[in-house]
Amino acid sequence: MSRLLVACFVVFPFIGLFLTFPTSLTWDESILNTVAYVIVVGFVNVWLGMGTAWWLLFTESRWKSWVEWLTFLPLFIPVLASMFGMYIVLAQIGFIGTYTGVGLVLLVTTLPYSIRLAYNAMYVIGRPLLEQTLTLTPLTRIVFVLFPLMRESVRTIVLFSTVIVLSQFVLVQLIGAGLVPTVTTRLYQAYAGNDVSLALQHTWVLVSLPVLLYMGLDALFSIWIRLVKGRLQ
Amino acid sequence: MSLVLSGIRKRFKDRDVLRGIDLIIPNGEIHGLVGVSGSGKSTLLRIIAGLETHDGGTVTWEDMPLDGVPPHLRRITMLSQSPLLFPHLTVGENVTLATPNRSREEAEAWLARVKLPGRYDAEIHELSGGEQQRASFARALAAAPRLILLDEPFTNLDPGLKSELQRLIRDLVRELELTALLVTHDREEAMLVADRVTLLETGYVRATGTPGRLSETEPTFGDFVELSGTFYPTTDIDVSTEPTSDSLVLVRPFSRFGHHFGEYRRPTGEYVILPRSESFKVGETYYLRQKQGGI
Amino acid sequence: MSRSSLWFSLFVLALPFTGVAFLIYETVGFDWSELNEAVWRTSLAVTLYVTIVSTVVSLVIGTWLARTVYMKRSLWLMSLLKWPMFVPHVAAAYLFYLLFSGGFPFYGWIEANERHHLVVIFTYVWKEVPFVFLMVVGTYGQLNHGYVDMAKTLQLKPLEQFKVAEWPFLIKPLLDSFWVLVAFISFAYEVPALLGVTYPELLGVLAYERLTTGLFLNAFESYAVALAWTLFIFSGVIASYALTAKRRRRIERGVRR
Repeated sequence: MSRLLVACFVVFPFIGLFLTFPTSLTWDESILNTVAYVIVVGFVNVWLGMGTAWWLLFTESRWKSWVEWLTFLPLFIPVLASMFGMYIVLAQIGFIGTYTGVGLVLLVTTLPYSIRLAYNAMYVIGRPLLEQTLTLTPLTRIVFVLFPLMRESVRTIVLFSTVIVLSQFVLVQLIGAGLVPTVTTRLYQAYAGNDVSLALQHTWVLVSLPVLLYMGLDALFSIWIRLVKGRLQ
Repeated sequence: MSLVLSGIRKRFKDRDVLRGIDLIIPNGEIHGLVGVSGSGKSTLLRIIAGLETHDGGTVTWEDMPLDGVPPHLRRITMLSQSPLLFPHLTVGENVTLATPNRSREEAEAWLARVKLPGRYDAEIHELSGGEQQRASFARALAAAPRLILLDEPFTNLDPGLKSELQRLIRDLVRELELTALLVTHDREEAMLVADRVTLLETGYVRATGTPGRLSETEPTFGDFVELSGTFYPTTDIDVSTEPTSDSLVLVRPFSRFGHHFGEYRRPTGEYVILPRSESFKVGETYYLRQKQGGI
Repeated sequence: MSRSSLWFSLFVLALPFTGVAFLIYETVGFDWSELNEAVWRTSLAVTLYVTIVSTVVSLVIGTWLARTVYMKRSLWLMSLLKWPMFVPHVAAAYLFYLLFSGGFPFYGWIEANERHHLVVIFTYVWKEVPFVFLMVVGTYGQLNHGYVDMAKTLQLKPLEQFKVAEWPFLIKPLLDSFWVLVAFISFAYEVPALLGVTYPELLGVLAYERLTTGLFLNAFESYAVALAWTLFIFSGVIASYALTAKRRRRIERGVRR
C-alpha cells in the first residue's frame, strides 16, 4: 500500500505534461541559449567540482578549513538575495546584459553543489584507493581511473547543474537585463500571456533536456570505459 | 536444557547456508561454534538473536518458541567483532542505556567488573580497542540477558589483549552462570573459552563434544596437545642448549592466553610443548594446537 | 589540475560574499523603519509558514524513504525517486499549475493559486523530497548496520533503537538539508510567482517586484530585506552548527565504519 502511495506521489504531477500536447516545437534563440548554457555550465562544474574536491581531499594546507567553509557556506545564502548584491557588483564591471555575466552567476548557483557532490563521492570511494592513482600522470589518472570510477557522480553533478540552470528565471532576467532569452524566461512570458500550449512546449523542453543529457552521458561513459579497457589489454 | 535449535535451515539466493541444524545448549554452558568462513556460523547466531529470519526449523528457549519474537524482546545480547559503542554517548552512558532501570550505579558496577573503573564519563575515542570491547561486554551483561552471543569478539585485538579478554569473558560468564554461544574460526580460542564445542561445516553440524573428545575423534579439528594442570612442572624444566641423551632442547619460548610455554625437542627428534610457568590452575585443562615440527 | 580549478572556484565562490558585502554597503544609512509596513510583515509571516512546512515535511518524508530503501533494499523506490530530480523547479511549478487549474483531475477542488499556498508547498515537497532522500541515503549507506543490530539486542524499544542507532548519524545530513532548503525556499521567486497569490506574497517575490518596478526606486528596500534575510539565515546556520558541534565531533571520533 505504502509503495503504491509513494509511486502515485512521484508520478502524479507528470500527468500535467499530457493534459495538453504542444502543437509544434520551434527551434529558436532561447533553446539555443539554454542548451549552450547547460553544456558549458555542466562541463565547468565537473571540471571545477572535481578539481576542488581533489584539492580538499589531498592537500595539506593551513587554509584548508577556510576553503572548506568558503565552498560550504554559499549553499546557505539565498540565491536571490545574493543575486541582488551581485547585480550591483556586476553592474560596476559592465557584465549586466551580457552572456558572460549570466553564465558567471549560473556558475555561482551551481558550483557549491558540485563541489559537495564530488567531495562526497571521493570520500566514499576512499582516500586509500584514490591515493593509488597519485603515481599516474594527471591525464592518465583522469582518463583511466577517475572518470570511470566517478561515472555516477559526474552524471549527478551534470544533472544537478542542468536542473538548477533550467530553473533560473529571476537570475537570467536580472543579470541578463532581459537581453538573454532562455526557455525559462519564455515559459514565464507564455504563462503571463496565458498561452498554455506554448508554455507547455517550453515545459517539455525543460523536462526533456536533463533526461536526454543524463542518458547521453551514460552512453558516453559506456563507450569511454569500453575504450579504456581495450587500451589496457 | 535452555536453548534448543531444531532443523534450522536458511537459504540465501541460490545457496543453502544452513541445512538443518540441531543443537542443544544447556543452561550455564559456554558453547563454542567453530567453522571456517562461509560455514554458516554467524548466520546461525543472527537467527538465534532474531536479526535474521530462517526458512525452516525452530529456535526455543526453555520450551518457549522464539520464532517471530522481535530481537528486543528475546533477552539475548550480543558482542561482535567491533565494539559498536554508540558514539554520541559516553562509555558509561552506553552501559546505563542497557540496564533495565537505566541506573548509573549499576553501570558503574559493571564497568568495574570489566576492569574499567572510573571510566563512566570517558569518551569512546579515549578508550583503546581492547577497552572498548570490554565496555561493550559490560553493556551486553548489563542488559541482564539469559543468553549472550559472542560473534568472534576477539578477532580485531592484539594477541596480548586477546588472551586477557578471553579469560575475562570466560571467567565472568561462568561466575554469573550465564549461557553463552561463542562463534569463532579459531579452534584454540574455542578450546580455551568453551565447555563444549560444535564443529560446523558448510551448513551442517559435523560433531559436538568437549574439546578433549573432539581432538580425539575429529581429525579435521586439529592435533591439540592437552596440557593438564596436574602434570605441569612448577619450575622451568631443564633447558639445555646442547642436546644430550636425556635432556630437552628449548627451541622456542612463546606465550598463549597469558601463559608461558616452550617448544622443546626431545633427543629422539620429536617436538613437544610444555608449560614454563606456574600460572596454570591445578585441575584445569588447556589445549594447544600442535603442528608437525612446531607450533 | 586541482590548483588551477581551486583558484577559479574560489573566484566564483567569492562572488556571493562580495554580493552580500555590497548589500551591506548599499544599505548604510537606510532607514530600517521603512520595512515596518504591513505588506512586509504579512509577507514575512507567510514566508516563514511556507518555508517551515515545506522543509519539515520534505525532511520527514525524505528520511522515511531513505530509511525504507536502506532497510528493505528497495531499488525500485530508489530509481523512482530520481524522477522529480529531472524536473526543474519552474517546470514542476507549471506542472502543478496545470494539475490544479480547474480541469482534470481536481476540477477546482484546490485551486492552483490557492490562498493558503498549498500548491506552492506541494510543489516544494515534491521537488525537495528526492534531494533530502539523496542527502540521507548516503549516510544510511555508510552507516554500520551493526549499530542497529546492537540496539535491537540490547532490548531497546523500536523508537529507542532509532534514537540511539540511527538518529545521531542523521543529525549532520539533516542539519545541512534543513538550512539548504530554508535558504532556497524562503527567498525564491520562480515557484511562488507562478503559484502564489498576489497578497500576501512571499518575501522573494515581493522583494524582486519592489526592486524591478518603478525604475529601481524601491531598490534599497529590497536590498535591505535581502541583507536582513541572509544575515538571519547565517545566524541560524552558525548557531545550530555551534550548538551541535561537540556532539557531532564526538560521533565522528567514536564511530566504527
